[in-house]
Amino acid sequence: MKKYRFFGSLLDTQEKWLNKMASQGFRLVRVNKLLYEFEACSPNEVQYCVEFIGEKSHKNAEDYRCFLEELGYKVFYKNINLNYSIGKVRVRPWAEKGGRIATNGTTYNRELLIVEKMNDGKPFEIHTSKEDLIRYYGTLRNPWLCFLAIFGAFGFVFKSLTFGAFAVAALFPVILYQSKIAKVKKSLRYEE
Amino acid sequence: MRDNVNGGALTEVTFYILISLYQPRHGYSIMQYIEEKTQGRLALGAGTLYGALNALCEKGWISVYGQSDGRKKEFLITPLGKEIAQKELCRLKELTRFASEIIGGE
Repeated sequence: MKKYRFFGSLLDTQEKWLNKMASQGFRLVRVNKLLYEFEACSPNEVQYCVEFIGEKSHKNAEDYRCFLEELGYKVFYKNINLNYSIGKVRVRPWAEKGGRIATNGTTYNRELLIVEKMNDGKPFEIHTSKEDLIRYYGTLRNPWLCFLAIFGAFGFVFKSLTFGAFAVAALFPVILYQSKIAKVKKSLRYEE
Repeated sequence: MRDNVNGGALTEVTFYILISLYQPRHGYSIMQYIEEKTQGRLALGAGTLYGALNALCEKGWISVYGQSDGRKKEFLITPLGKEIAQKELCRLKELTRFASEIIGGE
């Protein structure tokens, strides 16, 4: 069965949708830009997590994918943007060393991992320690922080309302992830 | 890995990983071992385990074990790692001894 969806940066929404499909007895066999192809399975046979890896270098992303596959998970690369150009080159100042230039051959259109695990009745979580959650939320926040700074600066320099509006739009996810980080950090004061 | 500034206390995840690697293990085996030994209390997520293993390798407390071409990547604790684990055990012993004195218990 083929379904066409685009979730963009709404990782939780995508994850919920995939888990809803799994609960109805469908598991993923193939993904493309907009396409999700499913095959029938028993209801709740599998569980899904959607993870952002856009900050990773090509080498580290592949290393991480191998690690997940060795754990017995099935892994799909997924695009976060909807861009069909072939010779895409994009600069990612917020990425780690080695990942700051994204091209089609490396990390562009491979910003997300869809991770599938056989359901063993336990909740499926990728990040379980507080230190790791803080780091992960940081990687989700940083691109938006970067957009906020760039659009904010452009809006100010060019006195442009359009850029200003983009900056305001980028502000919401920054606040969202920052408040998540603050919440975890607060609990770190008295427990691990 | 966050280290306590005063005491150098290890995080629970760090300490359990060090203990589990007194014999060579691959990722899944580490996860299972820790979950089993804590009766499911400490279930490590894949991303958390991955980050911790990389950080510990960087610190030289554990290392990749043997040449694993084609086979699953295994890890083993290093002599430095054993030293760190030993120190942590002493700290915990001191803590439990003192806590038992105050709180009581068997």
